[in-house]
Amino acid sequence: MDDCQRTASRLTPYVDGALPAAERADLERHFDRCQPCRAAALREKGARRVLREQSRALTDTPLPSGLRTRCEALARQHATASAPRFTLRRFAPLTAVVTAVIGFFLFSLATHQSDTVLAAQLTADHAKCFRFFAHGDSPDDDARRVEQMLDRDYGWDLHVPPSSPAAGIHLIGARRCLYADGRVPHVMYRVNGHDVSLYVLDGVTRPAADLVSFGHRSHIWTAGRRTYVLVWPVGAGDITDATRYVMAEAR
Amino acid sequence: MFRGRKGDVDTVAARALEFLEPLYATALRLTRNPADAEDLVQDTFVKALRFSDRFAAGTNLKAWLYTILLNTWRNRRRDAARDTVEVDSPRVEAAAAESDGPAALETPEQILMRADVRGDLQAALDALPEVFREAVWLRDVEEFSYAEIAGMLGIPIGTVMSRISRGRRLLFERLSSAPGRVEAGKRLTR
Repeated sequence: MDDCQRTASRLTPYVDGALPAAERADLERHFDRCQPCRAAALREKGARRVLREQSRALTDTPLPSGLRTRCEALARQHATASAPRFTLRRFAPLTAVVTAVIGFFLFSLATHQSDTVLAAQLTADHAKCFRFFAHGDSPDDDARRVEQMLDRDYGWDLHVPPSSPAAGIHLIGARRCLYADGRVPHVMYRVNGHDVSLYVLDGVTRPAADLVSFGHRSHIWTAGRRTYVLVWPVGAGDITDATRYVMAEAR
Repeated sequence: MFRGRKGDVDTVAARALEFLEPLYATALRLTRNPADAEDLVQDTFVKALRFSDRFAAGTNLKAWLYTILLNTWRNRRRDAARDTVEVDSPRVEAAAAESDGPAALETPEQILMRADVRGDLQAALDALPEVFREAVWLRDVEEFSYAEIAGMLGIPIGTVMSRISRGRRLLFERLSSAPGRVEAGKRLTR
């Protein structure tokens, strides 16, 4: 193999600074003697330099409208489809029903549909989120910090009821509900070791309701221009102190 | 959906959503058509979800996604039965070496000072033969390693390097001939 061919085969790692010192010196000695190879190296270096300096500008293309939303919807659909494998084990016989309900109202929270459907969706979200995102010994979270996070990350103006030992309720965090295109805050609590969720539906008004859905109670009420839904397991027994506290505090 | 908030489980889906912009920018250079690019990205995302359990946690997710993107693109091209050009043969390489474009070119600094360097770059990239365009893009814009690129394109590392080399040089020549080029007559400095 002649010198120029050998040089050509090592040009890219040379330009990328990936050659060991001895080989690098080899090539530079060749460049001293060979103008075409030197010119080729300069061209390669030049292109690499321009591309790297412009790489941010080149990848800074706005996404076509709708692409992100569609991909997020696909991701939700995928998560929902695989949910029965991981959650609601205690309610195994009802998993199929839940899946059917969720499947039917895939992306839109049933904010204006029947209480039963709304409760079913939020119960499913409640079970899944506690399964995935909470640990048995989650420490109490600070309400102010949670409010700031919700505002900073999602733009939500919400007063989060803080932990209250008197009412027996502990705040453990907050996140986005899986449904309604991520427009619904989900505040997570523990009461007597049981998982309790508070959902906030902004701009929605509904008549108050109390119902049981898949082993969980849902309490729905409207205050001002928001509807709140509290979800907790039937097995928690009487947690009236906690529910009254949340109803008084949430706004 | 889960936007990678601290404390959230890092699902493949959540993390993949964060790569939509670079995936789309790459698809745009590959397809040179916004509608096809959008389609390609969505297709890639669907596949990523479907095969998400094959992704080994702790490995490079971006490289994994790009492999899917490039495989999908390669399959589409095959279906469209495009002409294949023997771009990697030594004869082509040798012939090209003899006619390496104009003797005097702009310097990178001059090119970078242009008002629309980004536009010129995109045009120059799009004018490159596809195999060179993708090699140069993956190396110099997305900064993948030679080994990662070899995996994504299904070619040996040596071929990756020679395509990058050829692509970079062709690109530089094209850039230097674009409108807006400053009159070249200066000595090239090292």
